[in-house]
Amino acid sequence: MRQLEKPDAGPQFTRGRLLWAGAAAAAGGVTIGARRGDGDSEAAQSKAADEEILNLFLTLEYVQESFYRQAVEAGRLEGELLELASAVGDQESRHVAMLAKRLGGKAKPRPRSEFGDALGSPARFRETAIELEEAALAAYVGQGGNLSRRAVGAVVTLVSVEARQAAWLRDLAGVSPAPRAADPARKADDVLGELRDKGFLA
Amino acid sequence: MRPLTLEAIDRDEVLTEAISELCGSTRAAFLRTTALGGAAMLAALTTPAEAAAEIGDVAILNFGLRFERLQATFYTQADELGTIATMAKAKRSWARTLGAHERAHVKIIKQVLGSKAEGRPSFDFGEANETDAAFTKTAVALEDLTVALLAGVTPQVHDKGLVSALFSLLTVESRHAAWARHIVGTTPAPKAFDEPKTLRQVQGAIARTRFVVRRPRTSGTRSPGFTG
Repeated sequence: MRQLEKPDAGPQFTRGRLLWAGAAAAAGGVTIGARRGDGDSEAAQSKAADEEILNLFLTLEYVQESFYRQAVEAGRLEGELLELASAVGDQESRHVAMLAKRLGGKAKPRPRSEFGDALGSPARFRETAIELEEAALAAYVGQGGNLSRRAVGAVVTLVSVEARQAAWLRDLAGVSPAPRAADPARKADDVLGELRDKGFLA
Repeated sequence: MRPLTLEAIDRDEVLTEAISELCGSTRAAFLRTTALGGAAMLAALTTPAEAAAEIGDVAILNFGLRFERLQATFYTQADELGTIATMAKAKRSWARTLGAHERAHVKIIKQVLGSKAEGRPSFDFGEANETDAAFTKTAVALEDLTVALLAGVTPQVHDKGLVSALFSLLTVESRHAAWARHIVGTTPAPKAFDEPKTLRQVQGAIARTRFVVRRPRTSGTRSPGFTG
């Protein structure tokens, strides 16, 4: 196996220096060792971490996909909000398909999601969609550094689209699409707990 | 019968240019005279040039720094030139927010690089930030290009902490891109997956804008080279 060496002697990208990523670095729900180096145990560990994190992402995409699909079916949206719900729902389906394919037999099943009152009006839909998108983004930012490089390559182009969706929703809601210079990270358990509390995740 | 070559079908050199961005110009020149679909062409196309050499985190970060500086200067100058002041309120807030974020990104990356940070290059945006229309068009293209760049380089980075950090910048740049697209009335999220670009591709795109110059502009104007 090829030895992946540290490419430069310095600077050290220590957590202390990565001030703006402090939250991101601290958030890892899954903790694995340094990614560099080799050895079979590390490869196995990294594979297990990838599976756990990709399943978290899959769950978040499943919840969002159900939310947008049910919102369109409920028939209360119109204009650009309806256009958004259809387009974004379709994108979430593609995200689900990609992650499920990548996980193969290790993919977790689709969770049961009840949105109830969150689909009751266009305003409630918009508000809930923003909460869901922001929660997912914070989970992605929190876990990105725990993925193997290969898995990072698979998810980055999906994460950027999630951020675009969040910005689109926020602009329609009249709140700043990009409220901070760097997005914060949240722990996986916090995000999943929030979704369970709201009944979005059984 | 002579095998068909790229040279024979690519009269405008559009394909050759695309391939040279992807694989480097030496390889593109070789491919031009290679039989289309032949084994040699396939072998040359399957391994992008960058895969052969690992790029170090410092090199990636320094390129990121140069790119963030380019953006920050673009927005700051647009404000100084009064271009942003002519905009409607919502658009003004968009332009100023993006400028503030890009300046923050420069500061952050400089801090991470410490003494390894490269010096600041000179920029000449021509007329690209002198009018609302040119500024907006260029901003949309620049933001989408940043998303493609970050999506392309983040998987190349070795340092875990740095990957986390790049994720939190990628999501912000993607928000900028979506916001910019919404401002001009185009779909903020046009595809289910963004298209990543390699460092080399982004270097090529920036070179074509001629925004990075050896010396600061002293006089004269020219038409903007960058239209997206």
